[in-house]
Amino acid sequence: MPLETPSRIVQELARHGYNAEREAVTLIAGAADPATALARAVEEAGDDAFRVTAADVRAVLDAARSADAETTPSPTASPTGDSTPAPDPSVSSGDPGDGAAARAIETPDETTGGRRRREANRSPVPVDIAGDITGQSTGTGEYADFVKVFKDRYERLSSHLRGRVNHRPAEAIQRMSGGSDAAMIGLVNDIRSTASGHWLVELEDTTGTFPCLVMKDRDFASQVDELLMDECIAVEGTLADDSGIMFVDSMHFPDVPRTHAPNTADRHVQAALISDVHVGSQEFMADAWTNFTDWLHTEEAHAVEYLLIAGDMVEGVGVYPNQDEELDIIDIYDQYERFSEYLKQVPGDIEIVMIPGNHDAVRLAEPQPGFDETLRDIMDVHDARISGNPSLVTVEGVKVLMYHGVSLDEVIAELPEEKASYDEPHKAMYQLLKKRHVAPQYGGHLRLAPEEKDYLVVDDVPDIFHTGHVHKLGWGKYHNVLAVNSGCWQSQTDFQKSVNIDPDAGYAPIVDLDTLDMTVRKFA
Amino acid sequence: MRKDDERYFTRIEDRLDEAFDTARAAKAQGYDPETEVEIPVAKDMADRVENILGIPGVAERVRELEGQMSREEAALELVTDFVEGSVGDYDSREGKVEGAVRTAVALLTEGVVAAPIEGIDRVEILENDDGTEFVNVYYAGPIRSAGGTAQALSVLVADYARSLLGIEEYRARDVEVERYAEEIALYDKETGLQYSPKDKETKFIAEHMPIMLDGEATGDEEVSGFRDLERVDTNSARGGMCLVMAEGIALKAPKIQRYTRQLDEVDWPWLQDLIDGTIGKDGDKDEETDDADADADAAEESEDGAKEEAEDDSPADPAGPARVEPATKYLRDLIAGRPVFGHPSAEGGFRLRYGRSRNHGFATAGVHPATMHLVDDFLATGTQIKTERPGKAGGVVPVDSIEGPTVRLANGDVRRIDDPEEALEVRNGVEKILDLGEYLVNFGEFVENNHPLAPASYVFEWWIQEFEAAGAPVQAFEDDPSVDLEHPSPEDAFEWAAEYDCPLHPDYTYLWHDVSVEQFETLADAAADGRVVDAKADGGVAVRPEGPEGGDGVLELERTETVRSVLERLLVEHSQSDETIRVPEWRPLVRSLGLTTDLERTWESDDISPEARQWDGGENAVKVVNEVAPFEIRERAPTRIGNRMGRPEKSESRDLSPAVHTLFPIGEMGGNQRDVSEAARARNDEGTRGEVNVRVGDRECPDCGTHTFKSKCPNCDAHTEPYYECEECGTVREPDESGRVYCDRCEREVESPDWFQIDLSTELREALENVGERESSFPILKGVKGLTSSNKTPEPIEKGILRAKNGVSSFKDGTVRYDMTDLPVTAVRPEELGVTAEHFRGLGYDTDIDGEPLQFDDQLVELKVQDIVLSDGAAEHMLKTADFVDDLLTQFYDLDPFYEVEERDDLIGELVFGMAPHTSAAVVGRVVGFTSAAVGYAHPYFHAAKRRNCDGDEDCVMLLMDGLLNFSKQFLPDKRGGQMDAPLVMSSRIDPSEIDDEAHNMDIVRRYPLDFYEATLEMADPGEVEDLIQLGEDTLGTDDEYRGFDHTHDTTDIALGPDLSAYKTLGSMMEKMDAQLELSRKLRAVDETDVAERVIEYHFLPDLIGNLRAFARQETRCLDCGEKYRRMPLTGDCRECGGRVNLTVHRGSVNKYMDTAIQVAEEFGCRDYTKQRLEVLEKSLESIFENDKNKASKISDFM
Repeated sequence: MPLETPSRIVQELARHGYNAEREAVTLIAGAADPATALARAVEEAGDDAFRVTAADVRAVLDAARSADAETTPSPTASPTGDSTPAPDPSVSSGDPGDGAAARAIETPDETTGGRRRREANRSPVPVDIAGDITGQSTGTGEYADFVKVFKDRYERLSSHLRGRVNHRPAEAIQRMSGGSDAAMIGLVNDIRSTASGHWLVELEDTTGTFPCLVMKDRDFASQVDELLMDECIAVEGTLADDSGIMFVDSMHFPDVPRTHAPNTADRHVQAALISDVHVGSQEFMADAWTNFTDWLHTEEAHAVEYLLIAGDMVEGVGVYPNQDEELDIIDIYDQYERFSEYLKQVPGDIEIVMIPGNHDAVRLAEPQPGFDETLRDIMDVHDARISGNPSLVTVEGVKVLMYHGVSLDEVIAELPEEKASYDEPHKAMYQLLKKRHVAPQYGGHLRLAPEEKDYLVVDDVPDIFHTGHVHKLGWGKYHNVLAVNSGCWQSQTDFQKSVNIDPDAGYAPIVDLDTLDMTVRKFA
Repeated sequence: MRKDDERYFTRIEDRLDEAFDTARAAKAQGYDPETEVEIPVAKDMADRVENILGIPGVAERVRELEGQMSREEAALELVTDFVEGSVGDYDSREGKVEGAVRTAVALLTEGVVAAPIEGIDRVEILENDDGTEFVNVYYAGPIRSAGGTAQALSVLVADYARSLLGIEEYRARDVEVERYAEEIALYDKETGLQYSPKDKETKFIAEHMPIMLDGEATGDEEVSGFRDLERVDTNSARGGMCLVMAEGIALKAPKIQRYTRQLDEVDWPWLQDLIDGTIGKDGDKDEETDDADADADAAEESEDGAKEEAEDDSPADPAGPARVEPATKYLRDLIAGRPVFGHPSAEGGFRLRYGRSRNHGFATAGVHPATMHLVDDFLATGTQIKTERPGKAGGVVPVDSIEGPTVRLANGDVRRIDDPEEALEVRNGVEKILDLGEYLVNFGEFVENNHPLAPASYVFEWWIQEFEAAGAPVQAFEDDPSVDLEHPSPEDAFEWAAEYDCPLHPDYTYLWHDVSVEQFETLADAAADGRVVDAKADGGVAVRPEGPEGGDGVLELERTETVRSVLERLLVEHSQSDETIRVPEWRPLVRSLGLTTDLERTWESDDISPEARQWDGGENAVKVVNEVAPFEIRERAPTRIGNRMGRPEKSESRDLSPAVHTLFPIGEMGGNQRDVSEAARARNDEGTRGEVNVRVGDRECPDCGTHTFKSKCPNCDAHTEPYYECEECGTVREPDESGRVYCDRCEREVESPDWFQIDLSTELREALENVGERESSFPILKGVKGLTSSNKTPEPIEKGILRAKNGVSSFKDGTVRYDMTDLPVTAVRPEELGVTAEHFRGLGYDTDIDGEPLQFDDQLVELKVQDIVLSDGAAEHMLKTADFVDDLLTQFYDLDPFYEVEERDDLIGELVFGMAPHTSAAVVGRVVGFTSAAVGYAHPYFHAAKRRNCDGDEDCVMLLMDGLLNFSKQFLPDKRGGQMDAPLVMSSRIDPSEIDDEAHNMDIVRRYPLDFYEATLEMADPGEVEDLIQLGEDTLGTDDEYRGFDHTHDTTDIALGPDLSAYKTLGSMMEKMDAQLELSRKLRAVDETDVAERVIEYHFLPDLIGNLRAFARQETRCLDCGEKYRRMPLTGDCRECGGRVNLTVHRGSVNKYMDTAIQVAEEFGCRDYTKQRLEVLEKSLESIFENDKNKASKISDFM
């Protein structure tokens, strides 16, 4: 069998029962006699190994005194005849999404005949990143910094609501006469249920607070269940006779316009959206990861030109008590070294964007800046773009809001199960889109680092909203925005077992950037 | 009861009566809220129960029943009485159930704790959905102090009463069942439960419980699921209910079942399922977690129980000696500044010695005073230590009849230090503490903790019994003045060992089990190569001894690291020079090594049997030494016990914060200091000088009808009574029997307090005149902002003036208190208490412990049960209190003084109250002496009567007359727990059978028998040898129940060692931690890296992480009005007052330990994992607190 292309080499190796490092494949392909090199590399790797490493091949090539061994060959440019991937049988996974997004989960099948090693012809364009805190953290933890953040939040979110209601400041409403109509835009300051089951929502703006009563029999009363502290809403209603309270007639959220028309790429190109790799954990699924990166080398994945990783590259240190007992790699820098090794398996011509998560070695308080110089140096192999959490990443014209997703825990805990649950994490994401803020509630789970503006506000409507953190796979469309929670690469931990969480591990959602259709591929 | 004891109690009660006479005369004058003394005397438990509950007739019935049945059965029997109405005066069914439930809890807690009054709020009768009635018991947080059994039984009693009254069972709605499960899980998460029932278990109980359990909200956290239920009036966790359900019903199911089976009316068949543990175990997932739990439990048990594996293995594989398993639990949550004294079972740590010193027993640990000094004074009398075994914690007591520590000095000398003075002299030169000395634990401690006996050290009291058993004429030796049995000469020791075939005397038994066979051989070789030189010669001429008897030479060995370290491990005293090591007491060493005193070897390496060589993997040379030495040698110290410091000891007056002299309200007028004089001068809002507007109780004079806030009518001097006028309708109401005042017409509670404009400057002036004092007689007179009691009755200002004058301050209930750590003592010398034999004879002590007439100050006397020893600080404070009481009697009440004390000796024989936190009953004690230690020594039964043990617990003493005159229930805060920690009743005499039975497990013998020591080697269960050693419980109910508390070990003084722990004398946390780490380097038994790791892991990191988390989700607070905001107001300023708002968690409090933690991690070579965690945190801090674009420069940037 002629072995002129990397995909052939991979197939041949697979036939022998081996996976291979990308570099190993390249080395074999560049050898004077690929067939012999391959055969000997397989010998070198031995029967126990299941991966042929670059070291194995080098040993073989060195032994053969191959003159070309050290030079990395440039990818051959000759296109093979069948560049269109053969359609894979789709595996239905029930009904995971409720939007217009694609619902298929596909399992790449190594033995499918049509699968070809892809020609290296990706040409991703550099992404554009906005709203990145990295290097811009100017807060010094003073009281005034906190006030500034919340004022900024109010200013920016209220701008989305001003056109919809004829609002007055709280101070003015306090002086209005009883019985008059009024509207107010404010941050939710307090929510209480009254003895008779009505809801008392206190709103705050930059002039003061005002209590708003939502009667339990109003049809929008159920929306009170969805309210989180410190989100921005607008209400319209009538003042009570003593002007001490407003009876709410309608409630508005900043929200994403129903008419939102998403941007799309003007060519067929795909992005893989993943998160929560957790390298260093004893539960990290190295095999699934390698299956994934191997697949990226195949013809089928030729359109995948972007890889977006939404946090938790590594398991981290000291994230929870006695974590060291459950670590595979105890040293945090070694964890990133190893992660970097795994990242090397990703084809070099794929553009990677990474933001940190709560397990990463950056500050926990949000917004989280991207990795510092030390960690960047460790991970510099792939020249990945490193940004803060959250960040708005524009890929081929498509705006992707990347956020790790710590606030999802709180949204799921606070909201009724039908509106947000771990089994349908995308529904919790809808709520964040509706609130136009990735983590509204202050003082609970969320840790807030005060900066000069609120980086957590969703200023521009994204076309894709990408989160992770809860280790569950879920996607769907909300007002034409594709919301994706991307699962993880860590099998069930003891903790998850104890709280009965069954993670969705080893999946890679693949989005067509030209149509925003999505396919999920399973690698575990 | 013996005549002697009767006389003793009569004496106490006579003095009590005297005090009551004076107090009654004072109270009758009507200056106080009540005209009677408010602390009733209880002679026994039945009395206490009646007094605490305030239900007449209970005591009599309890006494009747007590003779016939157990306390639990009596509690159930009383239910019938309550239902029939023969006990208690309740008309309503609710009242009957409530009375029965409270009485049951009171009985089961011996009428000491506050649970029966504070822990049960009320009982209601509500309706089921089918219209039938059921009983609801409303619990509150303080039910905690009742303990699981009493909690569980309270439910059973309620159910029994319910069935007798013909009320239906409670049928829980589904939402209520779910709510119970959610709520208990929430409470467990928030507060923590001893036993966490699974949801299924909780639901199972809730479905079957015939009584509704309800209660007050205790936490802020709310349930998220089952909110706003019709029959549950809070969304927060109800702590009392959760405790009763989880730690009561779920945990104590087997105990309840025993009683349900006795009752025909009550049938709880579902308990069986709980007991069998079949609930919550169906379904695979659950099963797995259950099993995991069970495994974890089992693992913990084996850790706790230290059940030796060798016990099971040894018959098959006798490869090593019997040893207890090291346990690490005590090292958890190590705190900066509180040192570790020994890692688990580590060599060089405390050596377990069995025995009870006279100041010992009941959760205490005997430590040599020289050790206390050598651990840099971190241990003092009363310091709490967390211990590896047998219990969890103990109070340290000084015992100098055990062996002291062994140290290596900077010059290389290795010495054992048995004298505290010597310890202080050499302390600065100590390079390494090779051994902490012995650690005295009494047998009773093992019984109490049900801990298998650990192998005993070989000590004199064991050896002498073996010696006697071997046929030695011990009596004759004892009578021979030339023989010292306890510390014989080496020649005597050899001779006895040889002649009677008895193990070598412990004085010459070295720690052979701590050296390996290889090390043993090295030392033997070195000794054979050594020479005996003149003790004074500097290495010059070798002197051959003239025979085994003669010659004073010392053994000189070549100095090598191995030899040196082996000698150190053996604890052989020696000195060293550059090239040599000199052993002065060398004969026992070389004989044990199998050499003759001419240093000739009697054995070859091949002579050692394989078994001895392989013993404990070759790490233990004890078998070898027995093979080569000409006598038997026992293991000197097979059990080492690890320890760390817990709480420091305490002896200080209890002051409210800020301190209060008078319970008189002055509002905001007195400034932060609540200065009454300042308030009397200041202008109020209206500009009037010295007038305060405060809420106080409205009282009416029964004679002239005057309305006043004072207890004594200013017009006619009659005693006034609270006046209750309904705010809505103006009707005047009277309190009902239970003290509640209710307006039937308006259906609301009526209160007496009202706003009064009080002319404080006049009140103060008149008060000063009344007691003939001037403002200059006190530096400051502090009042309170407002009153928290239900009737808001203020105290006469005069009392505060006299308190301020005498430099004492008041607790919330009007009493003056002094707190001390509790320690036990059963025999004392008048001398050590700063008093004389004459004083003691005056107190009724006639003989010493041997029955000899008491003549000399240093004779040892057995302490009587209610006699207590005050710390110096307490004595001083009591003197001031006595002066205050006398001033009060003469200047305020116009009576004769009661105490007339000049010096502290005058306090001897005076009565005090002892009272523990969370209880409501005081115990009368008598002062017999003083100690420089910062603790309250008293008879263990006295502490137990207060429901304390001595593992570092502390409680307070009050002067008797102060309590009688100044305590009033009217001052107690009108909130949950307000009745706790207040002397609602006093016990005048202790009945040993009515105290906490923990104290009964103290052994009271002079000597433990030989069989006991041998049993420890088998690691027997303490129960197996309990019959050999008399415990306190063996004398209960006999004439001897108050006497015969013998001890096995004496101590020269009960206050040896430092008076205060270094933890208290060192200043900042950093100084303490430096000292802690410094000490950890010095101790051979301590791994300093581990200590540093733990301090970082358990103290610094949680602190840093916690504060960082707190910072990023903090509340803010107005600096001006104190208003709190969950989130920063958008206006920036306070919405209430427009004042400045600021953070509650600042940068400084977040990163205060950062630099230190990093430095410690570096210096002590902590793991990279730990260092990296700190690194990541430091970066986080920088990222949050530093501007990326304008980095703050630090001095270190320029260095």
